[in-house]
Amino acid sequence: MMLADTTQLALRNLREAVLRTSLTSLGVAIGIASLVGMVSFGVALQDQVLGNFLRSGVFDSITVTPALGPMARGRGRGNAAQRFREAIGPSREAPAGVRLDDDALRKMAALDKVKEVYPNVRVPVEITFGDFSEFSAATGVPMSARGEGVFQQITFGRFFPNDSDDTCLISLDFARRISDGKPEDLLGKDLTLTYASTGGPAQASPLGLPGGLNIQRIEKKFRIVGIVERQAAPGPIGAMFAAVMIPLAKARQMGTYDLSNPQGILRQLTDKGSYTTVTVKVRRPQDTEEVEKKIRDMGFTAFSIADLMQNQKRAFILLDLLLGLVGSIALTVASLGIVNTMVMSILERTREIGVMKAIGGSDEDVRRIFLIEAALIGLMGGAFGVVLGWAVGRVINRGANYYLQSQGAPAANLFLIPWWLVAGAVTFALLVSLIAGSFPAMRAARLDPIRALRHD
Amino acid sequence: MALAVETQDLAKHYTMGQAVVRALDGVTLTVTRGEFVGLLGTSGSGKSTLLNLIAGLDRPTSGIVKVFDRSLAGLSRQELSLHRRKNVGMIFQSFNLIPTMTAAENVALAMMFAGVPRAQRERRARELLEQVGLGGRPLHRPSELSGGEQQRVSIARALANDPEILLADEPTGNLDSKTGHEILALLQALNANAARTVILVTHDGSLASRFAQRTVTLSDGRIVAESRS
Repeated sequence: MMLADTTQLALRNLREAVLRTSLTSLGVAIGIASLVGMVSFGVALQDQVLGNFLRSGVFDSITVTPALGPMARGRGRGNAAQRFREAIGPSREAPAGVRLDDDALRKMAALDKVKEVYPNVRVPVEITFGDFSEFSAATGVPMSARGEGVFQQITFGRFFPNDSDDTCLISLDFARRISDGKPEDLLGKDLTLTYASTGGPAQASPLGLPGGLNIQRIEKKFRIVGIVERQAAPGPIGAMFAAVMIPLAKARQMGTYDLSNPQGILRQLTDKGSYTTVTVKVRRPQDTEEVEKKIRDMGFTAFSIADLMQNQKRAFILLDLLLGLVGSIALTVASLGIVNTMVMSILERTREIGVMKAIGGSDEDVRRIFLIEAALIGLMGGAFGVVLGWAVGRVINRGANYYLQSQGAPAANLFLIPWWLVAGAVTFALLVSLIAGSFPAMRAARLDPIRALRHD
Repeated sequence: MALAVETQDLAKHYTMGQAVVRALDGVTLTVTRGEFVGLLGTSGSGKSTLLNLIAGLDRPTSGIVKVFDRSLAGLSRQELSLHRRKNVGMIFQSFNLIPTMTAAENVALAMMFAGVPRAQRERRARELLEQVGLGGRPLHRPSELSGGEQQRVSIARALANDPEILLADEPTGNLDSKTGHEILALLQALNANAARTVILVTHDGSLASRFAQRTVTLSDGRIVAESRS
C-alpha cells in the first residue's frame, strides 16, 4: 500500500470524528505549549546571563599573562574556574623566565589563526571633571575594537576618530555619576586625567621618590567623544572596572605607574618593558582552544572566557532539561488522550478493519493507517502548541515587563523561541504521538478478521 | 482437471467454556477451476467456517487446505493477506461496505491494498461498477443504495484485484427473492463468461441447485450429501 493512500485513509478517519480529533490535538497542543513555554523561558534566562558575554565579543579573545611558576606547570589539570582565579588573582609566584614583552607579542601575532595581539594597558589615573575627582584607571582600547563587542552600540557620540588625538570614551554609569542627569551633554567636554610618567616635559612635578628617580605627575585633557552603555571588557582581567577608555596608543605612551602606590612603581620599573596581561584575538571563536594551547606551549598562562562558559552552558542545559521535564507532564497526560482516542477510533472501526483484512489488507497496512492517524494528531497538536506557547509567552512577557518597568528595571525578553525549539517541539509531539499510537495500532493490526467482521 | 480448492480431512474446533464445538469435523472436498459449487447446510453446519478457511481468514485445527495446489498451512499472516488479495474475492450476506465511502471508493479500496495507482484504480472501479450494472451510481454511498445495489458494489469490490475464486457467504440472505435471483445470475455470468470459480454458501437448497453446477451439503461439520445439478 502506498504511503499517500495510507495517509488519505488516516485523514478520512480523522475527518469523521472532527470533535474528538480536535480535542485530542488540543490536548497535545497544550502539552507542547507548556513544554515550549518552559524551555523558551530557560533559553531566555540563558540569553540574559550568557548573552551579555556573547555580545561583549569576548569569545574570540584569549587573555595571556606571564607564567605563574609552579602553579602554572600544573595547568590544564584544574578546571576553567580555577584557571580563571589563577589568572586574575595576585601573582603569587615570580614570573618564571619567559617575559611577556613586545618580543613575545610579535611571536604570538605570528601564530596561525591569530587576528591581532595587543597589551591590555590600564593606566592608573586620577580623573578630574569639575569638582569631581577620583582615582581610577583608564583602559587602552585598540582602534580595531571599533564596531566590536561593547562598541557595537555607542549610546551617545561615537568611537575614537583616530589614536593620535586626546579623546576618550566613558561608560554610561560613570557619565551618570559626573553629569547632572543628562549624560549626553558631556560629549565634547574635557576630562582631566592625571598620571605618572618617567621623564617627560613641562608641567611635570617631581614626586620625591627615593633613588633619584625622575617620576613626574602629568595632567592631560581628554575630550569625551562617546558614551557606551557597558564597560569595555577586552578580557576577563583587562578593563572590567574601567570608567574611562582611551586609545591604546595613548595608554601605551602614558605608562602604567600607579600614582597612589609608590612601591608598585618601583616594582614596575625593575620589570620594565613587559606587560601584565595581553589580549590575543583569534579569527573565529572556534579557534580559541587551539591558539590557547600554542600560547601555553610558549610558556605563558592563557585563559579565555570560553573555558568558563563551558561550565555555565552545561548548567543551563541541565536547567533546560529540568524545565522541559516539568513542561512534559502536560504532554504525558495528552499522550494518554491520544491512546484513548485511538482505542475509541479502533473500537468504532473494528468491523471496517475486518473488511479491510478480508479484501486483502495486511496487518502492516492496518497498523500504518492508525499510526499515521496518531502521527497526524501529534503534528497538528505540535504545530498549534508552538503557536499557543509563543502566544502565552508573549502575554506573560508583556505583563512581567510592565511590572519590571514599574520597578525601574530594564525590560527583558523572558521567552525566547529559537528555531531549534520549534522543530524540536513539533518533532517531539510527533514522536510522543507515534509512541502513544503504537500500542492501539498494534492491537488493530492483530485483530482477528472473523471476529472483527462479526462486530457491530 | 486443475484444482482450485482442495481440502483433506479439514477440522476446526472451538472451545466455548468447557465444551468443544466441532464447527468442521473432517471435510474432504475438491473444487475444480471454473466450477460453481453450492455449499448447503443449516445455520451452524460449518459451511461458513469452511469458506473462511478457504479464504485464509482463519486457520484450521487440523487437516489441509490447498488453493491452486498450495497449502495455506505454512503461510505467514502477511502471505495469507496476499492470498486474500490476489486469489479470492469475498462477498458477504451483510455486504460489509464501508459506509463512509462511495461505491467507487469501496471498490477502489481493495486495489489500494494492492498498491494500484490512484488513476488506474479509479478507472477500474468505474468499469467494474458498470460491469455489475451500477454504472450510473459510482458516487453514491451505501446508505443511498438499495440492498441489491449494495451487493453489486460488493461483487465489484470482490472482482477488483481480478481473483480467480469468488467466495460468496449467503449473498442473498438480506435480499428479496427477485433481487437475490439477479445477484446469483450475475455470479453465474461471472462464472460462465470469465471462467471464475464460484463457491456459494447458502441455506436455500433450491437456489443452490438452480445456479450451482454441484451442491455439497454439510451438517454438524461433515459432508452429508453431494449432488450435480
